Amino acid sequence: MNAGAFESPGPSGPLIRIEDLWKTYEMGAEKIHALRGVHLTIDTNEYVAIMGPSGSGKSTLMNLIGCLDTPSRGDYYLRGFKVSDLGDDELARIRNREIGFVFQSFHLLARASALKNVELPLIYSGLPAAARREQALQALRETDLEDRASHRPNELSGGQRQRVAIARALVTRPSLLLADEPTGNLDSATSSEIMDLFDRLHAEGKAVVVVTHEREIALRARRIVTIHDGRVSADLPAARATELLGAAT
Amino acid sequence: MDLLEGLRIALGSLIANPLRSFLTLLGVIIGVAAIISVVAVINGLNLYVQEKIIFLGPGTFEVSRFGIITNHKQFLEAIRRNRDLRLADAEAIRERSPLAEKVAVKVYGMGDVRYRGQSVRSTTLKGITHEILQIEQYELDSGRVIVEDDCDRAAAVAFLGADIAEELFGSIDPVGKEIKIQGRSFEVVGVGARRGSVFGQSRDNYVLLPISTYQKIYGSRATISIVVRVADPRDLEVAMDEARAVLRARHHRRYDEPDDFGFVSAEALNNLWKDMSRMIFQVALFVVGISLVVGGIVIMNIMLVSVIERTREIGLRKATGARHRDIRRQFLLESVVLAASGGLIGVAIAYLLTLAIRAFSPLPAAFPWWAPALALAISSAVGIFFGLYPAAKAARLNPIEALRSEA
Repeated sequence: MNAGAFESPGPSGPLIRIEDLWKTYEMGAEKIHALRGVHLTIDTNEYVAIMGPSGSGKSTLMNLIGCLDTPSRGDYYLRGFKVSDLGDDELARIRNREIGFVFQSFHLLARASALKNVELPLIYSGLPAAARREQALQALRETDLEDRASHRPNELSGGQRQRVAIARALVTRPSLLLADEPTGNLDSATSSEIMDLFDRLHAEGKAVVVVTHEREIALRARRIVTIHDGRVSADLPAARATELLGAAT
Repeated sequence: MDLLEGLRIALGSLIANPLRSFLTLLGVIIGVAAIISVVAVINGLNLYVQEKIIFLGPGTFEVSRFGIITNHKQFLEAIRRNRDLRLADAEAIRERSPLAEKVAVKVYGMGDVRYRGQSVRSTTLKGITHEILQIEQYELDSGRVIVEDDCDRAAAVAFLGADIAEELFGSIDPVGKEIKIQGRSFEVVGVGARRGSVFGQSRDNYVLLPISTYQKIYGSRATISIVVRVADPRDLEVAMDEARAVLRARHHRRYDEPDDFGFVSAEALNNLWKDMSRMIFQVALFVVGISLVVGGIVIMNIMLVSVIERTREIGLRKATGARHRDIRRQFLLESVVLAASGGLIGVAIAYLLTLAIRAFSPLPAAFPWWAPALALAISSAVGIFFGLYPAAKAARLNPIEALRSEA
């Protein structure tokens, strides 16, 4: 298959289907298995938190879901298309069209205005400048930052910066919003504000996957997947997880 | 990613660090400014040499004891082999070379010139036949030139260059006045129009005497130069061959012996100048080449620093969909824009230098339109060549590690 197939709607089915996914790193002679056969299915319009202690493999899993990396073994289907054996250029295209990243440290370009930061992914979509500006403004509107469009990151608060980053993730209308510790650099009030925004985006129909090690953040999701030693150790609706996690503490 | 956006990003990152960009570009700036200035100066020298130094017209050649000598070895050989030329040699050419329309003779010496209390020491005395004045284009300022009759009679007359006239006479009209050369009296019959200077050397610093008069004072042992003009410049080569045959016969040269005299023609002088300017240009090119290579290495170095500084940016761009080639193109474009702006600044400096040379020296320095175009092309090529490695390095970065980097 080629990445161009993403232009047309894919076969019906889950958004993400992961089957027996392995990721092995070779450190000299030693082999480290970061993932040891992960099975996971996520539907369109789900809100999933991926939890796990550091070293559990949750970052590796997130990189694979985000098409930043390829698995050593196993299959990954995104919207029904097998992406686990695609080349670098095709993966770049899928990241551009299908995935919106939100990072812990925002990753905004310091010299560019909020608007230019949000336009960035559209440059690689090959959109003309006028259309880029239009769509970027729309995305800023959705995160309530239209009035900050010409501000540079150093003129914005932490919460506003993360909202610029979320606007950037939304601007290509991806099928999946993938957030890696999105509140890790924010105070609790701002964290809650950002999580409210994720709630709203999910309510509007976006699939959201949040990778976190913070319980309160994970509990905002509808479903919590816990990773341990490279495997899925628990996969529960958030309501059920609350009981279990509550019991654990 | 379109080119315009890439250019915008590239210019943005150059302007973000203006001092660093400028220092980075110094090598390229100097290289480009130097090469264009050298082209401008050589161009100017070409014109200068054509106008001022190559005094011989296209249909004229000169025969002398030495001709054109370009190195010491030639000089030593010529001194051993070549004989002084005599008036009789000129007579022989005049009689036996059909193509020689005019045959003139000149001989150089030095002497002191005095008028009453004023004197000019060690000035150039030229003994000439009257045709020299026509062939070498001495314009008249006042009085009259030296004529055939003066030469026939060995008349005690002198024709002065403008500088000498001014030094001896100031504002007085010299024509008809009596001057002393080496203690003998001469009547000034005319003054030449100003001819200006070449490389700071005045060309109005002469006293012309009829050659017969000159030889009465200094004797006839000094070697003469014979100046020959042909009616049609296309016959120049054949006329030179005629003169050569006449002189070889007179000097009893065997067929396997080289000439014992030398020729000077506009073409030979031109070729000599071309050889010289080519050598100057090659040396300049070599020096400029080195400065461009050094400039390129500095650019490569700063691009590598930039790749490291912007690792996270590269990671982000890749995460949001930039392909290898998008990143590679961005950094290549940046290094080309960097190098080409160095080229532009260099062209601007060269332009100012050229204006300054024109204003403060007699050289009509100017560079042709292709010089800045070529310089920009070369500096862009330097940018591409030395940008390849940093750009490839940036494109190869793993997005996961790049996003995680601390830089």
